[in-house]
Amino acid sequence: MSIEEQYRTRAKELLSGGAVKMVIGYGKGSNASRRRPIFISSADDVERLVLDDACITNLSGYLVSEGLLSDEKRVAVFLRPEGIRAINILAAESQLDADQIVIFGFDVAGNEVKALKGIHVEEFSDVITSIKESAPEAAEEELFEKIEKMSPQERFSFWQEEFSKCIKCYACRQACPMCYCRRCIVDSNQPQWVNTSSHTLGNFEWNIVRAFHLSGRCVECGNCDRACPVNIPLRLINHRMAEEVLGAFDHFAGTSKTQEPVLASFKKDDSETFIL
Amino acid sequence: MAKIGVFICHCGENIGAKVDCTKLAAAMGEHPGVAVSVEYKYFCSDPGQESVKRAIRENNLTGVVVAACSPRMHEATFRKACAEAGLNPYLCEIANIREQCSWVHTDNDQATEKAMDITRSMVEKVKRNNKLQPIEVPVTRRALVIGGGIAGIQAALDIANAGQDVVLVEREPSLGGHMAQLSETFPTLDCSQCIMTPRMVEAAQHPKIRLLTYAEIESVDGYIGNFSVRVRMKSRYVDIDKCTGCGDCITKCPAKKISSEFDCGLGKRTAIYTPFAQSVPNIPVIDKANCIYFKNGKCKICAKTCQCDAINFDMQDAFEDIEVGAIVVATGFQVQNNTMYGEYGYGKYPDVINGLQFERLASASGPTAGKILRPSDGVEPQTVVFIQCAGSRDPSKGVRYCSKICCMYTAKHAMLYAHKVHGGKAHIFYMDIRAAGKGYDEFSRRAIEEDEAAYLRGRVSKVWQENGKLMVRGVDTLLGRPVEIAADMVVLATAMIAQPDAKEFAKTIGIGYDEYGFYNEAHLKLRPVESSTAGVFLAGACQSPKDIPDSVAQASATASKVLALFSKDMLEREPVVATNNEATCAGCWGCVLACPYNAIEQKDIVDRSGRVIKRVASVNPGLCQGCGTCVTFCRSNSLDLAGFTERQIFAEVMGL
Ligand SMILES: Cc1cc2nc3c(=O)[nH]c(=O)nc-3n(C[C@H](O)[C@H](O)[C@H](O)COP(=O)(O)OP(=O)(O)OC[C@H]3O[C@@H](n4cnc5c(N)ncnc54)[C@H](O)[C@@H]3O)c2cc1C
Ligand code: SF4
Ligand code: SF4
Ligand code: SF4
Ligand code: SF4
Repeated sequence: MSIEEQYRTRAKELLSGGAVKMVIGYGKGSNASRRRPIFISSADDVERLVLDDACITNLSGYLVSEGLLSDEKRVAVFLRPEGIRAINILAAESQLDADQIVIFGFDVAGNEVKALKGIHVEEFSDVITSIKESAPEAAEEELFEKIEKMSPQERFSFWQEEFSKCIKCYACRQACPMCYCRRCIVDSNQPQWVNTSSHTLGNFEWNIVRAFHLSGRCVECGNCDRACPVNIPLRLINHRMAEEVLGAFDHFAGTSKTQEPVLASFKKDDSETFIL
Repeated sequence: MAKIGVFICHCGENIGAKVDCTKLAAAMGEHPGVAVSVEYKYFCSDPGQESVKRAIRENNLTGVVVAACSPRMHEATFRKACAEAGLNPYLCEIANIREQCSWVHTDNDQATEKAMDITRSMVEKVKRNNKLQPIEVPVTRRALVIGGGIAGIQAALDIANAGQDVVLVEREPSLGGHMAQLSETFPTLDCSQCIMTPRMVEAAQHPKIRLLTYAEIESVDGYIGNFSVRVRMKSRYVDIDKCTGCGDCITKCPAKKISSEFDCGLGKRTAIYTPFAQSVPNIPVIDKANCIYFKNGKCKICAKTCQCDAINFDMQDAFEDIEVGAIVVATGFQVQNNTMYGEYGYGKYPDVINGLQFERLASASGPTAGKILRPSDGVEPQTVVFIQCAGSRDPSKGVRYCSKICCMYTAKHAMLYAHKVHGGKAHIFYMDIRAAGKGYDEFSRRAIEEDEAAYLRGRVSKVWQENGKLMVRGVDTLLGRPVEIAADMVVLATAMIAQPDAKEFAKTIGIGYDEYGFYNEAHLKLRPVESSTAGVFLAGACQSPKDIPDSVAQASATASKVLALFSKDMLEREPVVATNNEATCAGCWGCVLACPYNAIEQKDIVDRSGRVIKRVASVNPGLCQGCGTCVTFCRSNSLDLAGFTERQIFAEVMGL
């Protein structure tokens, strides 16, 4: 039986037995290579579920939709390892109760889909540890290497050029499971710290704020990068920040549901190289 | 409509010589919302303050900016003046045009330009200031003194003698610190033990002092007036209530060959021991690492010997939480390990010792009962070479600073040596003789003139062994020639350094330290005994190298600070506290964790039927110290700090 079949069967069982009230998964998209999120509450609908190498979106963000989990009923969700890490962070930041989440874990290697064993987030810690160990090479992208080699001035102009394209649509924010605040700092206007218009200063402000707010939290799922309508390579910034926190504090986002947020916790042996 | 008064101070020449104050006053006078803009030579003076008050009354000012020195210097002064003129003190701000402007710039025009920016930015802030009322919090009238050396003992006694409760915590088995190890003390040559031990006893027996020895501070929470301290009572394995201090166990303990820390390795002790015969309390501890029973599971001879059944091998560390209102840190110093000077042979030749070891040799309670005998063979040395600055004032191998006491104790050592070994010859290599202090220069002159110590100005390059002698090669820079002395013993005047765990410990209590690990005072000149954390004071050598008189004086000074704090029932605190916008808080609890004062709690928001609809962060104004950490952390921008609101800061930035 294919993994898709197995997961459909499992979804059917869970829904018909009332073990979960909803399954969040992937369904057919507008063309063969696109998948869109679907929300199934009836066992009769499980045939709509699709699982293949085109299922890349991180669906964890839907779990924190206002009111979804407040009845304390369980919800199942299809997640790749990045999505599983996101559950850990959302739980650590008290945005959800991890026990309410039933995970349909999978990973895509090449065009092959493989199942990840486990139901609750704790059961995936080995998978997460192995990603942590291979983390530094994760980006392995020519552009990343190129930027690393640039002088600060060159790098600044590179990003200035990229950010000049930003239209402040905040699609990156909407797509990110970590951007759950009911009011984002950019929407606060007393005072207006981040300029709303999309000119150089405002765009820099927004993208830098985004980078900082996601340092030590971003799981590199790529939702933001794919959402950006003007193709700003946001993944490169995310990856760079992830490397920084890993190097400075040995912090890898989303290793457990009780992980302390790196920028709010203080340990006596934290490196202090940035204090002059 | 804002009516802001701008008062530009020349600070004598300090600001006036760099910043064109007349131009600054004129420019500020033009700025929207400024009603008065004037300059004066010293606004902090009495007539200066009076003119500010008059201006407030005459013009009905709604805010005041004093462009002057750092707010750390005179913010309180001017706020008080404003209050006296009927203006809420929190409507007064300082524009720092001294430390941040005139002192650091060379070009007058540019400095003036910058002073305008700084002042304008403050005017913009003040326009958005709110009237704030001070917060009152109760004071716990009990002091914690950490460290039972002379500084800690003095502070504890002074506070206790004024009728306040003190908890004195010492991590070693006995009170005393370094002073208990000294022989005689400069500049009067009175016996250290004779003046120290009565103090130790007094502290231990004082009804207002609770003495906890062999105890360590685990954590410190809270803030001035209301600290909560967790103390770990390390297990002595001897019941302090049952033990009578007879010492039978010590006599019988078969593990006798352990190097004595108190005698700096020159004597031996047992596994169950008191550091020295006059220890306070006179209750032994078992050194677990060296106890035969703990190593092999067999022995317990001490337990069999003890008539009082005081020995308990199952004892565990105990913890206690203690509430205190003030903390005196008196954790002292260490002597540097001299092995970094390979060429002096410390650690290689047994007769090359450090100053503290010499103290033990010269002490009547020491391993040689006060006779100067060299460690290798117990023979009286006929020639001794003392090397000063062995570690101090040596940026390449040792420390950059002067340890302050070594010139004096080396002179003392030479004198003691002359008194004890008649006909013995002392040579002292020195860089400078620093003998500043009452009776100090006279003291070191006495070593030269009466006790015939030979002072040689220069450094030693090498010490080696030859024909049973320690050959010392150095240079006499005054005569400009090399010298070689065949000595029987060499004494290194080792640098005084911070405790090895000083930095770590500073983080536990939340105070600052310098690059060497000595604790930072709030202001080197004007607040030398306060740490930068309110309610935590510094006494003795933990703050900088010090001799006994300085340590005692500083300890008494901390006591007066503590007593001033305890003189009130309620403490007035700055109303600079954080508030949370419950509507926008996302309940991530990042701030709860980030707050160093545990001032943020979780709060449930319930609907009419009592159902929890939302959990949000809530700041306890009694605990908040206004550090602003949470404000910078909060991603949803929900937290704000009174007195430094986002609107004020934004206006300040935009005013630049
Ligand atoms: C060789 C030598 C000779 C000297 N001769 C003289 C002299 O003749 N005249 C003179 O005026 N001065 C002399 N001094 C200086 C004198 O020793 C010091 O000024 C004095 O000891 C400083 O006292 P203190 O209480 O600050 O520190 P210390 O004596 O070091 O006492 C600190 C105490 O705090 C305890 N402690 C440390 N950390 C902790 C902790 N975390 N928790 C609990 N307890 C802790 C330590 O165990 C110790 O008991 C001499 C010094 C040396 C090295
Ligand atoms: S920032 Fe982008 S890559 Fe990181 S977690 Fe959010 S959406 Fe995923
Ligand atoms: S998605 Fe792209 S264009 Fe839109 S706000 Fe984010 S970075 Fe800017
Ligand atoms: S950090 Fe901000 S959003 Fe998070 S709990 Fe605190 S106030 Fe609320
Ligand atoms: S300002 Fe915030 S972080 Fe600082 S003490 Fe107050 S509540 Fe805690």
